[in-house]
Amino acid sequence: MVSSESSHSALHQIPRNSLALLMIAQVVVLMPHALHLSPWIVAVGLFCGFWRTRVYQGQWDYPRNWIKALLVVASAVGVALSGSDVFSLEAATSMLLLAFALKLLEMKNRRDAYVVVFLSYFVIATEFLFDQSMAVAAYEFGAMVVVTAAMVGMNQFHTRVRPVASLRLAAGLVAQALPLTVVLFVFFPRVAPLWTVPLPGGGTTGISEQMTPGDIANLTQSDQLAFRVVFDDEVPAYQELYWRGLVYSDFHNGTWSAQKSRFVASPGEPAAAGDAASYQVLMEPTMRDWLYALDRAVPETPGVRRVADYTLRSRDPVMSVFRYEVSSYPGARLDGRGMTRAMEVQATRYPVDDNPRIQAYADELWQRTGDIDGFVRSLLQQISSGDYHYTLKPPILPSENSIDAFWFDTQRGFCTHYAGALVFMLRSVGAPARMVGGYQGGEINPITGHLVVRQYDAHAWVEVWDEGRGWRRVDPTQAVAPARIESGIEAALSAEDRAELAAMTAARLGDWTLVSSLLNWSESLEHRWNLWVIGFDAGSQRGLLEDLLGDITPVRIGLAMLFFGALSLSVAALALFWRRRPTRRHPVERAFRSFGDAAARHGYEREVHESPMVFVERVGHQARVNPAQLQLLIAQLEALLYNPAVAWGSRELKYLRTQLRRLHFRLAFASTQ
Amino acid sequence: MSEAIDSGQISSRFGQWLDRRIPPGKRITLSQHNVFIFPTRMGFVFGGLIVVLILGAINYQSSLVYGVAFLLGTMLLIGILYTFRNLSGVSLELVGTRAGFVGEDIGFDVRLVRPQGRGREGIQIGWPDGIKQWAELCDQEADTVRMYVKGTRRGWLRPGRLLVETYYPLGLLRAWTWVDLNAAGLVYPKPIFTDIPAGTYGRRDEGELIDPLGSDDFTDLKTYLPGDSVKHIIWRSYARSDELMVKRYASFVEPRLWFDLDQIPGGVEERLGRLTGLALRATRLEREFGLRLDGMEIAPGVGDAHLEQVLRELALYGMA
Repeated sequence: MVSSESSHSALHQIPRNSLALLMIAQVVVLMPHALHLSPWIVAVGLFCGFWRTRVYQGQWDYPRNWIKALLVVASAVGVALSGSDVFSLEAATSMLLLAFALKLLEMKNRRDAYVVVFLSYFVIATEFLFDQSMAVAAYEFGAMVVVTAAMVGMNQFHTRVRPVASLRLAAGLVAQALPLTVVLFVFFPRVAPLWTVPLPGGGTTGISEQMTPGDIANLTQSDQLAFRVVFDDEVPAYQELYWRGLVYSDFHNGTWSAQKSRFVASPGEPAAAGDAASYQVLMEPTMRDWLYALDRAVPETPGVRRVADYTLRSRDPVMSVFRYEVSSYPGARLDGRGMTRAMEVQATRYPVDDNPRIQAYADELWQRTGDIDGFVRSLLQQISSGDYHYTLKPPILPSENSIDAFWFDTQRGFCTHYAGALVFMLRSVGAPARMVGGYQGGEINPITGHLVVRQYDAHAWVEVWDEGRGWRRVDPTQAVAPARIESGIEAALSAEDRAELAAMTAARLGDWTLVSSLLNWSESLEHRWNLWVIGFDAGSQRGLLEDLLGDITPVRIGLAMLFFGALSLSVAALALFWRRRPTRRHPVERAFRSFGDAAARHGYEREVHESPMVFVERVGHQARVNPAQLQLLIAQLEALLYNPAVAWGSRELKYLRTQLRRLHFRLAFASTQ
Repeated sequence: MSEAIDSGQISSRFGQWLDRRIPPGKRITLSQHNVFIFPTRMGFVFGGLIVVLILGAINYQSSLVYGVAFLLGTMLLIGILYTFRNLSGVSLELVGTRAGFVGEDIGFDVRLVRPQGRGREGIQIGWPDGIKQWAELCDQEADTVRMYVKGTRRGWLRPGRLLVETYYPLGLLRAWTWVDLNAAGLVYPKPIFTDIPAGTYGRRDEGELIDPLGSDDFTDLKTYLPGDSVKHIIWRSYARSDELMVKRYASFVEPRLWFDLDQIPGGVEERLGRLTGLALRATRLEREFGLRLDGMEIAPGVGDAHLEQVLRELALYGMA
């Protein structure tokens, strides 16, 4: 059974065609991960790929066992030492990718190749935990085709090397799978997480719980998306778009920090009243739990709650694009059940040994004005009339007496500088005040009409307690740079700052140039992607199914799934089994075929082994046709049959057909006798 | 992936069901009536991968991971159509059978024809006791595959149902069928080579006189050797001397040999083997020979056709 064994091993080998595709697939699949993983993991992947390529070329041998063991141990140690938590998503992904790379080095038979293919699909899916943008999705869709092509290659005849054919087949297969995928996507019940999972941490930009004056200025350098908002009705005026995120109450060593939030049940609280703006926010992943909304926010989405300071929290950190609905009542008071003693203590606390000059300055001003309103007004007056400047690049301040240095010496700062100084002065005279961080403004996409808020819209402002009106918003930035609040950051900056910002944030090119319209277009596309694909969750599924089916019952969902599933499968089946009309035969062949059919009706069947000429000769003899004429007919048939240039209407063919018809009559006549 | 086909695994009840489902025929075209599809082991692993992805999608609430899982699941479903399409419309026909001797591989030629148009890839066929072979139907519309099955006993070798299978394109699904092409190959007895007897006694009216004395009278005595006719033993001398003696007669030695089952010692199979050997040797020496099996007689002749006829009788001796 020698032959049996050799054919067996041939079957278990990976065809070269497929091997090449597998290695291409590995690079394609690893590439996007290179953006958020340690470079050494990428290096290991490339090294293993290179080694396997050398093996493929027959230059090197497979690594020995001890080398493989060493690589595995080194990789595990590397992941453990890389700093992140061993049970974090990053560590798990790193291990998966390393295993994937190392598997290449021992990929010898088909089973190994299948392991690599399955790991590839898995790696594709993991990438979506880090990035769900449309571009990445399109890329990974292509990656699926390449991986699938590698799998197809493994089942082709092993000597056949046709990667393009495999790719084409894989592309067709994946494309035909799309309709049913959409059906499943829409109808497959979305359920809540079954258990808690390690989340990807860090690395995202945005407002954080600690804020030093320079932080927001750094955010301004980024045009990364923060969130999108779709208003049910009109978008409120630009200067009213204060997206509240966090409230900072503690000031220590030049840093503002947000207190731990407590959820409130809020019994007996006066219901929000007045005109409301309803909207839904599609927030980009932040890995944090606070959300952004306009004042005074009432969450309409389960899982989103309000905390004591009227900011919103989600039950779980925002891991992927998160959609929540809010109704905001701009006229409603932000005072909950009034000011408690504990709250007042918290809202007036300040480090008494810090910033002595500004404390004295505030005391002196307080003596003059006597009430909070006047105090605040004269401070804002001071900012707008004095030599204060709004800039992205304020001079560096000392960590001690930083507010003194800003207010009296440098007089250049960003929103946090002004807000911080204002809160400090208010507190030093015993008036409850706090700093609020979030975003201000946004940009309306002219195509879909939704509002886009980016990191450079980050902002900080002040809330002052007023016994009669509750917490009241005061924005010192409006005093120093009114344009910032009215038309966005760009307008508020010096020419130098603006040039730098424009270089960083290409999205704000101002006028309707081709570039900006293209950007608007792609932004609207990305928005729809977020709205309908990424943000498609249990809530939006319910909404869509209600629109589609009316009442949602399991039976209806099942039937709809069955119907649409069958529909999309039959589309695929139709595409696969649709028989093209037979290619047009050679005209002589058609003429002969119709003669053959006619002859068969009279009992003259053509044997399988008979050529047309032999057949005509035999039946001609049987019907006693004149031998000379018969030979002429046969010669003509033979000449025309092997002449590819014969046209259907040509004279020779007409003659031949007449002759064949004559022979047919003879046969019919002979068979009646 | 491609384990050797388990021999004799088609149980009789399944066999009966198969006979009803896919009746035997000379030429069988594959269609939805006779092709089965089931996931392979890798297909089940793939299914497990999809389940893991869905769990991940649920826990990370990631729409796109759901998307990947659904796309892979749908690919598996569409894969059923692809795998079936790869076999559908292909027809199989037994076009030739090669006889052989016991212990040799008996060759069967199966011709596969696909409809015009798209090529078929990765189709394998094989008998339970044989080796699977690839059929090349990608660039050509027809392929003839020769398969060998070991002949273990003489007579008709019926290899039974032929397995036709494909894992194309994904390897996650296997489409297969068992077709009965009524294949039967003749297995001749295993030849045992012995020398052709120098002279075989023929009847007086046949053959050529080689004896100078011109008579078939008794000439002398010789010791008995196996193969000598029992009729010529001199029993009287045996009584005296304990040695079996036979009378020798001058006779006609004919160039046309007669091989007679009765004249050969040994068990039935051994005698058939010897006769096979004799027939082969005589054919190679281009000697005319005839065959007598019990009551059946094949007139002397020479050549391949004659040999085939003789071998056929030897193969089927004693079989209904």
